[in-house]
Amino acid sequence: MSPRALHNVRAVGPVDGTPLVLAHGLGCDQKMWHRVVDAFAVDHRVVLFDHAGAGGAHPSTFDPDRHASLEGYTDDVVALLDDLALGPVVLVGHSVSATIALLVAARRPDLVDRLVLVGPSPRYLDDDGYRGGFSAAEIDELLATLETNYLGWSDVMAPVIAGNPDRPELGAELTASFRRTDPQVTRAFARATFLSDNRADLARVRTASLVVQCREDAIAPVEVGRYVHEHLAGSRFVLIDAVGHCPQLSAPEALVAAVLDYLAGPPAP
Amino acid sequence: MTGPASNESRAWSTAPLGLLHLDADGYVLRANDTFVGWVAGQDAGTGVAGRRIGDLLTVGGRIYWDTHVAPALTLAGQVEAVRVEVRTAAGPLPALLTARTRPRDGAIDVALLAVRRRAEFEQELVRARSAAERSTERLRWVQHATAALSHAAGPEQVRAALLAAVAAHPGVAAVRLQTAGGLQAGDPTGGRHPGPDGRLSVPVAGAAGTHGDLVVQVRGRPAEATVDVDALATIAQQGGVALDRALLHERSMSVAHELQHAMLTIDLPHREDVTVSAGYRPADSGMEVGGDWYDAFWVAPAVLALVVGDVVGHGLLAATAMGQLRTATRALAGPGLGPGRVLDRVDGFVVDRETGFGSTLVYAELDTGSGVLAYACAGHLPPLHVTDAGAEFLWEGRSTPLGVHHRRVGPPRRQGRVRLAAGDTVLLYTDGVVERRDVPLTDGLAGLARTAGRPAAGAALTTQVLDAGPNRRDDACVLAVTWSGTAGT
Repeated sequence: MSPRALHNVRAVGPVDGTPLVLAHGLGCDQKMWHRVVDAFAVDHRVVLFDHAGAGGAHPSTFDPDRHASLEGYTDDVVALLDDLALGPVVLVGHSVSATIALLVAARRPDLVDRLVLVGPSPRYLDDDGYRGGFSAAEIDELLATLETNYLGWSDVMAPVIAGNPDRPELGAELTASFRRTDPQVTRAFARATFLSDNRADLARVRTASLVVQCREDAIAPVEVGRYVHEHLAGSRFVLIDAVGHCPQLSAPEALVAAVLDYLAGPPAP
Repeated sequence: MTGPASNESRAWSTAPLGLLHLDADGYVLRANDTFVGWVAGQDAGTGVAGRRIGDLLTVGGRIYWDTHVAPALTLAGQVEAVRVEVRTAAGPLPALLTARTRPRDGAIDVALLAVRRRAEFEQELVRARSAAERSTERLRWVQHATAALSHAAGPEQVRAALLAAVAAHPGVAAVRLQTAGGLQAGDPTGGRHPGPDGRLSVPVAGAAGTHGDLVVQVRGRPAEATVDVDALATIAQQGGVALDRALLHERSMSVAHELQHAMLTIDLPHREDVTVSAGYRPADSGMEVGGDWYDAFWVAPAVLALVVGDVVGHGLLAATAMGQLRTATRALAGPGLGPGRVLDRVDGFVVDRETGFGSTLVYAELDTGSGVLAYACAGHLPPLHVTDAGAEFLWEGRSTPLGVHHRRVGPPRRQGRVRLAAGDTVLLYTDGVVERRDVPLTDGLAGLARTAGRPAAGAALTTQVLDAGPNRRDDACVLAVTWSGTAGT
């Protein structure tokens, strides 16, 4: 199977539009983006996919050894972009996928024209002189919470989006791809996410980027967003009026406006 | 205070549920008495209103709220029975959270049901599942190590494979093999449980002694990536067995090489009227000892015996068989017997001792007075007679390989005769000189005849023949005798 088939790729928008790839974060899948897809797709070729083990990705994509670190996910995205052969894309990464997007750009700058990092955090654990927001004990507690909850993303989202009367064709497709999120996969992804330290990788990135920070975010606090901006050459920073970690759901208009505004301007700050 | 409104209000406040009313961003607008009581305990002054719900939950719930619950509320308008823990004065309180969004303004109603006892039951289930998953992971780890060890060849590779397999565990920060001279197994900081410095130590035991200790530095976090000590011990034990095997193999190879070396560096007979030279070329792989050997000795004062053999197999067994056949041939040859009878005797030795079965051998005797060469080939390639006029193979005296067709009585094995002219040379050799997979044997023999026909003698000739040999995958040896024709002593 090709990477695009393995990762349940969907593309919308004009074929000759600037390619814009949306990478979802921990615990969810590409449906996370459904409130912003249409706005981006007006004049971009929008590509959506599911990470290994998430949503409609083929079950064989997830390898507990390979995906024990973010490098495994990075390999996947590089392979996917190579397969799509769209030329340099705008790569939008949310949450942990912002880190994955950074790793992709560091390794293969030819694949990425610009980066959009939504709620990025290069390290969640506190360290000497660095505040990531979480202590080691708190990470253990999070993993325990994931143990006791089966609230899979797809379980909640698929029926809702499937019921969207504006997009009946989407509904059928999503119902078909409906799959229970494997708690083991979620846990492995959480482990790879919350134990990673990618601060040093920021200096390796030469790609122009936009850091999108929510006004109040318990997972990626404002100071972490600023840290990313300050350590990332050629980055711009925008604070949007949104609370929580998922502005593409809670404040889709603000997110779309910030991203389109950035893409309309020159890449450098 | 009477009336439905106040009754409802009282019911809301004292319901056996923690009830919250949040704005669309998750900030508490109102909390009922039950919830305030949980959070504040005796300290009624602790405020709840104005705080974000995430801050009222333990960190797991806080992240879960932002990654799962809030998106679900935005999209689906409700969530049911999410397991969270409320931060209370008395410690974390397990609760089930159900919430619904009001379509009008996005405000959120939250109900929290305390589930202390049920939580214990759930934890049992989670523990049981974790144990099952851990045992699967443990099995995978051990299997991975077993596969890696089975592919490793020498002791160095085995050690590297062992370390790499252990390091593949996500809970392992570092690993090294500590051998004698450093930390020993009894070191108080190592052991079955990680010490305060997070170090584990297990022995890599061999059958005859220890190969050292695997000292593993474990990561502190997360708790579920715990390194299983039993699995680690199993891997270490397998590493010990693999190291035993690799060292034994290495030793047996080196013994085999020594044996072969001893057999191939004999003093060749030397006299005015005969020049004997020999050459041996090991196979390119060089690791395993092949079974080619040669010998030359005086059977009678004027009779020189020349032998080339090829033992089936490789390694120490082949080297041992070579030694036995060589000694037996020397001991069983004698004046007046002739090559056919000598081979019969060697054949009997092979059958009686059950060693060297299927080996091939060419045995020749040169009468240095007359120049007559008698020879017999037990399944072996024919000797090559090189004269001034050219080279010719000696195709007489052929019989089966040793041990294949032994008869105690009856006519002796066939032998051939040829009279050498002064200056003639006879070459005995093994198949490595002429055989190659992609070339017919006849072409290989023709090539040898051409090479040997070029003017050269003694060591130069054997070197020339070996260098021209096309096959580098097999070992090869050649023995050359040149008769000068002048009478000896």
